[in-house]
Amino acid sequence: MRRSLKLYFTLISVQIRSQMEYRVSFFMDLLSTMLLNGSYFLALALILERFGNIAGWTLGDMAFIAGLSEMGFSIMDMLFSGFDPDSFSQNVRLGKFDQMLLRPVNISLQVFSSKFLIRRLGRFLEGAIIFGVGMGLAGIHWTLAKVLYLPIVLISIVAGMGALFVMGGTLIFWTVQPVEVVNIVTYGGNELMSYPMNIYPRWIQNVFTYLIPLVFLNYLPALYFLDKPGVLHFAPVFSFAAPFAAALMLFLAFRFWSFGLRHYQSTGT
Amino acid sequence: MIEVTHLSKEFRLADRQPTFAGSFRQLFKPRYRELKAVDDISFALEKGEFVGYLGPNGAGKSTTIKMLTGLLVPTSGTMIVDGMIPWKQRTKYVAGIGAVFGQRSSLWWDLPVSDSLEVLQSLYNVPAARFRSNLEEFRKLLELDEFIHAPVRSLSLGQRMRAELCAALLHDPKILFLDEPTIGLDVVAKERIRRFVQHINRERETTVILTTHDLSDIERLCKRVIILDHGHILYDGMLQALIDRFEGEHLIRLTYSSREGGGIFDGLRLAQDDGIQAVYAFDHRNLSVPEALSRLQQQITIVDFELIRPSVEETIRHIYEEKLLLTPPDKA
Repeated sequence: MRRSLKLYFTLISVQIRSQMEYRVSFFMDLLSTMLLNGSYFLALALILERFGNIAGWTLGDMAFIAGLSEMGFSIMDMLFSGFDPDSFSQNVRLGKFDQMLLRPVNISLQVFSSKFLIRRLGRFLEGAIIFGVGMGLAGIHWTLAKVLYLPIVLISIVAGMGALFVMGGTLIFWTVQPVEVVNIVTYGGNELMSYPMNIYPRWIQNVFTYLIPLVFLNYLPALYFLDKPGVLHFAPVFSFAAPFAAALMLFLAFRFWSFGLRHYQSTGT
Repeated sequence: MIEVTHLSKEFRLADRQPTFAGSFRQLFKPRYRELKAVDDISFALEKGEFVGYLGPNGAGKSTTIKMLTGLLVPTSGTMIVDGMIPWKQRTKYVAGIGAVFGQRSSLWWDLPVSDSLEVLQSLYNVPAARFRSNLEEFRKLLELDEFIHAPVRSLSLGQRMRAELCAALLHDPKILFLDEPTIGLDVVAKERIRRFVQHINRERETTVILTTHDLSDIERLCKRVIILDHGHILYDGMLQALIDRFEGEHLIRLTYSSREGGGIFDGLRLAQDDGIQAVYAFDHRNLSVPEALSRLQQQITIVDFELIRPSVEETIRHIYEEKLLLTPPDKA
């Protein structure tokens, strides 16, 4: 475990040093992702300005939930980008994945640390600002339990969305080329999570409850923080299901990953 | 060191359809055909051997190498390398091997060579003292100093290959896999790499398996060759024995001042003649060079002569093209 951590930081530092070779592009990227994603929320804010609320959610509530998912997704994207189907596909095609298999280090650890997108910090910062605004506007009654649960929810979003990246990356073992549907689930899932689930039609709610359980990561915990009555058919206790849902997703994702790896080792590319 | 018995690898390939309707059908009801990339091969290698693994494209060379390096699991057969089954104990096994694939890089593009080597040190858990002494030695032998602090992306191909070799050997592997290590290099760079690899093989008793299309690499480095075609081993034995058996005719090119008689000699074929220079071909297995010359001198006054032997490359190409080895394999 200690050796794994040491190797993780060694490999991450390689990534950071490599990215610092292109400093100007790095800062441009940092700024542009921040502005681009920030502008999406700005547009929503302008609409809410006119209508007051959407399905009972005010601007503050919306900022809270959008900021939370944005922070979670950006950290996830920073950490799990090695599994991102696009970059993983490239590593498989260029033989870099085979090079990793030639090294005496756990392969998941190597893929995990094969990419580290520090430029996602821009997006995190943007998420944090929106989240801060939301906290201010929504007038949350902070309790000790809420303060303690908040970081757990954030970690759960990182882990749960990370699981989707791992699953999407695993598909590369069969398809080699990235499959567009995966982006709908990951990036689309994140977009979807930025809004309260109750505004969506029933079938979408069902998909993101039973098939891809994102509703547990963001929407249900948000109800607890914002002291909102549940509109969906969930008992209040499900607001605390986030870490369990995330752990289950991550577990299944790595089971699928091992299965895919065995397939890859029996077929090659 | 390496023991391969009845090893086979089959791939299931999607049957590509030439027509649009065909490729559409393939999308929903795929048809496959089996391809035997490696078909029941067996061989054994001793510690410290330097063997050339040859064959035309698609012969099954890289499939075998992928299995030997633990990247692929065979369909059937067994393979025991250094006391382990490569794909079963991957992390433990790869710690004891090194690999250089000419078309790929194990270094980090944007990092200086020295930094890449240090990262590899921690990945392979090489003790600091061992790392230092190895690096010291390789820096000298491979002349790395001129570019060791430059980022990998700025290196020439020859420099990069030298760095790759250093990277592949820092953890004292017992087996070294080389796949086209001199591809695209000039003569000087090729020679430097060959000398280094030969040194490692001799001094450290590292077992080396070399796959290459450059037969001058093979001629220079390998005593033993394994030739593969269509997944079968065509030949496994000494390179010299192969040459002795299949080498084409030797040629004597001579400049002469005068000639009597018809110019017909027993065992010698006149291949070319322009009145000043003539080329005679003969089978060196039946006729020695001095004997050939003395026969020629009975009728010809030789001013100058040159003996031309076919290159190993020609001999091997001759073997592939004429399928000379398709007769039952002959263990030398």
